[in-house]
Amino acid sequence: MIIDHFDPPGSIDDFAADPTLRTNWNTWLSGQFDIAITSVNGFLTAHGGGSCQFYNPSTHGLPGPDLPHSSGDITWNGFPKRFSATGPGSPTRYADAEPALNAGQARVQDEYLEWYVNKQNNKIVSIHFTCEAWDYFDFLGKNAPAKVLQLYQQYVSPAVQQQDLFGADGSYNRLNKWNTELGAMHLTHSANNLFAEIFLAASATVRRQNQGVELTSSIPLINCAEYGDAARNSDPNIGIAVNGLAREGRMITLANPVGLYMAAFDGSGLTVNGNPAGGFFTVVRGAFPLALRAVYQLPPQLSATGLTVSDVKIGSKNIEFGGELAERITMHLVGAASVAQTVHNAPAACGAIQQVDTGASLTAALGSPHPPGRKG
Amino acid sequence: MARSPQSPTRSSQSAESQPQESDEPVLDIDDIQGNILAGFNKDYQLLVALKLNDIPSARNWLRRILPGINTLAEVGHFNAVFRMRRARLGRDPIGLIATWANIAFSYAGLATLTSSQDADGVPDEAFKEGMAARAGILGDAPPPEKTDPTVGWVIGGTGHVPDVLLIIASDDADELAKALGRLQPTAADGPGPPQIIWQEMGQTRSDLPGHEHFGFKDGLSQPGVRGRISSSGSGFLTPRLLSASPLQDMEFSAPGQPLVWPGQFVFGYPATDDSAGSSGGPASPPALNPPWLRNGSLLVFRRLRQNVAAFSQFLHTTAQQLAQNPDFAGMTDARLGALVVGRWQSGAPIMRAPTADNPALGASSLANNDFLFTTDTPSPEFKPGQPRASIPFPTASADPNGFVCPHAAHIRKVNPRDQDSDKGDKFDTLTRRILRRGIAYGPPSANPLVDDGVDRGLHFLCYQTSIVEQFELLQTDWANSSNNPKPGGVDLIIGQVPGAQRQFELDTASGGSTTLTAPQQYVVATGGGYFFAPSITALRQIIAR
Repeated sequence: MIIDHFDPPGSIDDFAADPTLRTNWNTWLSGQFDIAITSVNGFLTAHGGGSCQFYNPSTHGLPGPDLPHSSGDITWNGFPKRFSATGPGSPTRYADAEPALNAGQARVQDEYLEWYVNKQNNKIVSIHFTCEAWDYFDFLGKNAPAKVLQLYQQYVSPAVQQQDLFGADGSYNRLNKWNTELGAMHLTHSANNLFAEIFLAASATVRRQNQGVELTSSIPLINCAEYGDAARNSDPNIGIAVNGLAREGRMITLANPVGLYMAAFDGSGLTVNGNPAGGFFTVVRGAFPLALRAVYQLPPQLSATGLTVSDVKIGSKNIEFGGELAERITMHLVGAASVAQTVHNAPAACGAIQQVDTGASLTAALGSPHPPGRKG
Repeated sequence: MARSPQSPTRSSQSAESQPQESDEPVLDIDDIQGNILAGFNKDYQLLVALKLNDIPSARNWLRRILPGINTLAEVGHFNAVFRMRRARLGRDPIGLIATWANIAFSYAGLATLTSSQDADGVPDEAFKEGMAARAGILGDAPPPEKTDPTVGWVIGGTGHVPDVLLIIASDDADELAKALGRLQPTAADGPGPPQIIWQEMGQTRSDLPGHEHFGFKDGLSQPGVRGRISSSGSGFLTPRLLSASPLQDMEFSAPGQPLVWPGQFVFGYPATDDSAGSSGGPASPPALNPPWLRNGSLLVFRRLRQNVAAFSQFLHTTAQQLAQNPDFAGMTDARLGALVVGRWQSGAPIMRAPTADNPALGASSLANNDFLFTTDTPSPEFKPGQPRASIPFPTASADPNGFVCPHAAHIRKVNPRDQDSDKGDKFDTLTRRILRRGIAYGPPSANPLVDDGVDRGLHFLCYQTSIVEQFELLQTDWANSSNNPKPGGVDLIIGQVPGAQRQFELDTASGGSTTLTAPQQYVVATGGGYFFAPSITALRQIIAR
């Protein structure tokens, strides 16, 4: 895949008013790829050599043919695995997955999908889902603060004020009250960032072995390579899918636009007053399969009658938690891979790839300083 | 003995983590109903749905038929004898027949005969709500101008949910009829005996035994259930044939048959550990309240009508169109069917027979289920002392991208094996396995391409301990989804997406790619229900007391 620049997640039009934003975003994101690649190269050099199978499509693009789209399409469930049912008689812990937040607190939802449940009079009136990474908003906060304010006012509340989002020094506060206790504009969990996605994908291109046996199963692989948390749906699944392509000798990258997305929502069996209610899930930023933001709420003609989301049933049971809808959301990212058997790396030993922050000045200037990986 | 996530090497995992015989629980084979873990495996299977009337009469009836409800010990031992005789004879033994019966209760039936509090203790929301209430979740489409998908169901629709489901199975139709005569309620049971509200015979196809009506051999893939049948000495419920596993961190009982902890299917036993990052060890069974749920299981029944003509015509028309595409030159109805199902009609897996059917492979129980998806499948290594003929079929090569067996192929959809899914890794997939006990109903089609208007299909039956996390997840999260467990389309056999077209991706290693669109549904639910199959003890001491 060869591209001439990186688009914003979902190819959203946030940069339309300022062309320099597009340039800066491309510079920042390309820099994140380069950090990851440099880090992998450093690891390979220290572990017997080999060439990095992860590439930056904007600077070192490779011609096709790439694999069919579905081969690079990696899906996972949006509800955190750590709160999911764990066998007979151990039900899903919905309440634990969405505790009340105060400003300054991040959510515990760690599958690149977070949500805010809007209640009035103890009834759910809307549920807001986002999968927009916080480092994208850090970038906007540093480069286009007015855009940040506009997005909050459009999607969270018209009451949002500049000083609610930014400190006296102009720095963006991603855990502000409108993104925590009063709403969800973007992801808050420390691991839910774009750099983590890139670093995970790059790290997973390194073939691994333990005691001479190449690792081909997701959990042993992630425990060996330490590129994420084995207790998630996402990280092990992304890692093994990327690593499988690497074992085929392919060069791998993330497809433009780079992002984490909602691919689909399953509204089957949702009813209100006996009528279908699955269609009230509306994507409001991006579009399936690159949806960035969605809201579930009843249309005005129903809410005017006093009905709320709490009156919506799944089967015969009323909705009580946002997580009941989150587990019906399929998340995904899209990778791209070159033809097989172009690279022949030997499996490397276990151990985490250390981040080589060659882009420290870049990130300080344009985006998040010191972005953590998925272990965060 | 769950494996430590910090011991990732395959060799060390293998050495440290394979459970020893003594680790496996002793199954209460005299208390567990026989169809759950052993399977009746009969040519005739009658389903009888009943409604309760007078409760004392119902209890009289249950007490009367209790000795006729067969146990795991009875069914399992008979099956073992049958296998021994067949191995010696080289064919099914003549005259060795049995007739079995099992029973299960819907939530309403169980609550009526025990209490609402006790019925609420069954740890599964789907069971409590019932299939009719959850038909929409399953993707069942309502008829035109209706909102209830179960309108028109022959049994189990809204307002027509049975309290009791009786399963009577036999090798002989006459013996089955006699058993029905013995087991059905009569006036002698009291003034208001339970009433039969529906019954229907399932029968293996006389022309193609073991094949469902689309023509494919069915029931080939079942998990191996861990557990011992005796506290003294050896004796696994599932014989262990292999000395080495094709996946070194997962134990198999036979080629292609991974071992699953019995709590996945029967309450009161260790289940497969599904906690995040686990490696498939046993998880302690949950406390049961009421305690008499132990040795019980949850039964799903789906009456699935199959439109054989429409399916066959879809394959025929689509194969002809694909054959014009150089990437799919030579496509035939049979090969397209194999791609859609993942097996040829003989049962031969397309992973081991990519280009043409191999009936001998399909008939080989040691080979027809032995394949992985993401890694090369090694030849099986059998335990010493078990003479085995060499297996003369090519092994399966890794197919992580779905070029050989499409990601949306039916058997890959409902069991992704070693491939990770949206819900977790291969150990998570083990927790989704079910024990299928289905059988065809209705006569075979004389000409599959001609719509004769006859109602035929499958009595799909399966046992598990979580309908939500097992049967329903397979149907809703995987079969109905175009994205899960891997992107590539909808399962064209059982997947259903009301109001949207069902699509199926076909890709080839040489870069060919196309998306098929199925113009209609070929399998439609026309009945069903969720039931609890209690232990013999619970039947005697609680339900029929």
